[in-house]
Amino acid sequence: MADSTTTPQFRRAVVALSGGRTDRPIVALAAEVAKTGKAELIGVHVVEIDWTQPLDADVAGRSESAQRVLDIAEATAEGARYRLECVLLQARDVGAAIVDEAVEREADLIILGLPFQRRFGGDFTIGRTIPYILKNAPCAVWVVREAMPKEHA
Amino acid sequence: MIGGRRPIQGRKPADRRVRVERPHSAYFRYSGPGQLVAKPAASTPRTGLDRTVQRWKAWLLGRPLASEEEIGERLPKKLALPIFSSDAISSSAYATDEILRVLVLAGSAALFISIDVAIAIAVLLTVVSLSYRQVCRAYPSGGGAYVVARENLSQTAGLIAAAALFIDYMMTVAVSTASAVSQAYSVWPQLYDIRIEIAIVSIALITVANLRGLREAGNIFAMPTYLFVGMALLMIGLGLSHIIGGTVPQLPDPAEVIKPPQTLEPLVGITGLILLLRAFAGGAVALTGVEAIANGVPAFKPPESKNAGNTMTMMAILLGILFVGITFVGNRFGIQPTTEAGPTAIAQVSSSVFGAGSPLFVLFQISTALILFLAVNTSFNAFPRLAAILAEDGFMPRQFSLRGDRLAFSWGIVVLAVVAALLLVAFQGDVHLLIPLYSVGVFVCFTLSQVGMVRHWISSKESGWQWRMVVNGLGAVLTFVVLIVVASIKFAAGAYLVIILIPTLVMLMMFIQRQYQASAKALAVRPDFVVRPPAREERAIVTVPTINRAVVRAVNVARSIADDVIAVYISDNPEASRELRERWERQIPGVQLVIVESPYRALAGPLMAYLDVLDRAWPPDKPEPVTFVVVPEYVALHWWERILYNQSSRRLRAVLLGRPHTVVVDVPYRRDDPDRFHYDNEPHADPGGPEPASSEPPANES
Repeated sequence: MADSTTTPQFRRAVVALSGGRTDRPIVALAAEVAKTGKAELIGVHVVEIDWTQPLDADVAGRSESAQRVLDIAEATAEGARYRLECVLLQARDVGAAIVDEAVEREADLIILGLPFQRRFGGDFTIGRTIPYILKNAPCAVWVVREAMPKEHA
Repeated sequence: MIGGRRPIQGRKPADRRVRVERPHSAYFRYSGPGQLVAKPAASTPRTGLDRTVQRWKAWLLGRPLASEEEIGERLPKKLALPIFSSDAISSSAYATDEILRVLVLAGSAALFISIDVAIAIAVLLTVVSLSYRQVCRAYPSGGGAYVVARENLSQTAGLIAAAALFIDYMMTVAVSTASAVSQAYSVWPQLYDIRIEIAIVSIALITVANLRGLREAGNIFAMPTYLFVGMALLMIGLGLSHIIGGTVPQLPDPAEVIKPPQTLEPLVGITGLILLLRAFAGGAVALTGVEAIANGVPAFKPPESKNAGNTMTMMAILLGILFVGITFVGNRFGIQPTTEAGPTAIAQVSSSVFGAGSPLFVLFQISTALILFLAVNTSFNAFPRLAAILAEDGFMPRQFSLRGDRLAFSWGIVVLAVVAALLLVAFQGDVHLLIPLYSVGVFVCFTLSQVGMVRHWISSKESGWQWRMVVNGLGAVLTFVVLIVVASIKFAAGAYLVIILIPTLVMLMMFIQRQYQASAKALAVRPDFVVRPPAREERAIVTVPTINRAVVRAVNVARSIADDVIAVYISDNPEASRELRERWERQIPGVQLVIVESPYRALAGPLMAYLDVLDRAWPPDKPEPVTFVVVPEYVALHWWERILYNQSSRRLRAVLLGRPHTVVVDVPYRRDDPDRFHYDNEPHADPGGPEPASSEPPANES
């Protein structure tokens, strides 16, 4: 349980959901922290649409896997006895869509999960979405990196 | 689904995004590929009446629980003890009476033997509870005597045990309630005249508590059980101190005391032995309810078997101490048995120990009445579970295995309540009339489960199987002897009813299973059979009462089903037929209309005959076609309007249901549907505009 004397408070947080293994832990963590300040949680999953299709092509609506990402996150939050509002977006760029959604909803925190992975050659890689959000989000950003696997430690 | 939304502009010119609607999310959640889980909103009633009913139901029974909440409904030992043991523990409140009522036939002096009879029953209790501890260990999925007998003896033996248990549970509810009321009128005699009403109200309350779910029922029942146990132990302790200190109070005998007969029965020889056996058989009701824990093992928190076994031991110890203690103190205090309207033995003991009319006496009587009322709950837990197990095995209607909103087996609970209430009314709430029907069933299932356990240990050869088998074997012999004694001694008093009922119930259960097996066989699909697209032709027959929007919709549905569509109008009025044909050909061209004149005004008969004629006319070298009978149905807005319409449709459906190669298709048309009605030939017509038969329901609906 988060300690309300040391945990930063927020009113509304956008939890970025990638559909990967970090989704459940960050939703559970966000729910625990949000409970202390009764903050609002918004789970956002963005389906990237390449330039061969129009932006409003019927892609995510028909994609069961995209819907499932949000449903699993919602169930995880419910398991922690907290409500998570879920938003499904289509965009050309995931990072920009998350930042824009956070701005529009006046979120004061974005929470992101980062799986520990190495690029070919052995360097730790962070991808391009997280740097974009760190650079452009007007609000606070929490990046929760998963624990380093034993073989990398 | 995009839903026609335009992209939302982001902070930078190229950053645009589209919010995708999630229409399923209010009602369902994806839990895996192609797998949805319904949310509470999916079960929300859609009509005002249903919503009102649900609100009242939620008020009475609590909010619906999801299936995954069941584990939270499991019982810790401190709640399981009162829930599953209140029946057994509470029988200490009337078992002593049953011994005294027999012994008094040999004179007041014979009442002193009651303690010996009680000790003999306590020994039997020890053996039976040890045996059932083994059942808890060996059968963690519960089911008690039924499962043990089914698995180790035979299906029929299992069904005999189940039937005996059913009778036992029903009798527990009736006997405990009647006994609780008798405790109440031991204190307030004016309640005697309304004893049936009190009993039925108490059964109704316990039914509601059980429909609310297991844990809540446990919370309601824990306190009175512990109060009774505490007060009874205090009473026994104080009674013993009076006996040891030589200060036994001398109270006058109640007015309703049973006087020994003029000719006393001797306590020696065969007559004496029979009298002792009768007293033993009467007091053996103390063992009723002992098996409930073994039946309800899955309701315990993990580790289920261990917790159930420990609860069984605790229950047996408490019951033994209370029963022997109350009988001993009553014996030394010179308590006399009374008639039905008089105070019970336990009431006399408490009156002597605590003082007649004292607050402790009143509190003890209230706690005794409460535990007897709540003893009923043991049956309310065990009966529905057993019925559910039998329903899953196909011996009871399937409804018994369905859980209600609160995860309780609602059907079993309601059926038990109704049958027990009927028994109470039939026997006018008289405990002593009910008891002869009671213990026979109990000892039938004790014996069967013990014999089954002996077979179990022989075949499983688990560690310590030899001594376990000896325990169960001893239990089997003892309970069988008691069964013979109880059945023969109580036969004329009512036990014969049980002996008739058990085989009747067994045959009924076998009949139900045969029905289910026959239907399963008829519906079975071979595992190696691969379903291919249908090769048979299809045709649609639309029943036409007139031309209206409901009929037009039905015709269009029929056209979407098959190319071969025939509208059939059954008429007893040639003039109306002519008018309809003229209108039909003008307004619905391309669909053949067949008018069947029915001079005897019958509707279903001529339609069936027409379908038979069509079948006979079908080329014999082609497989029979599937005939879709499309029935237009006008759905009124309110439930009270619906009684005015669709009587003919219902009749047709009922007649057509068993017809071979025939599918009945109901096409509903709601009164608030006009906006969705399409005038095929006038695509731009005002959908709400006038139409000749726009709101006319089918003409021959009456």
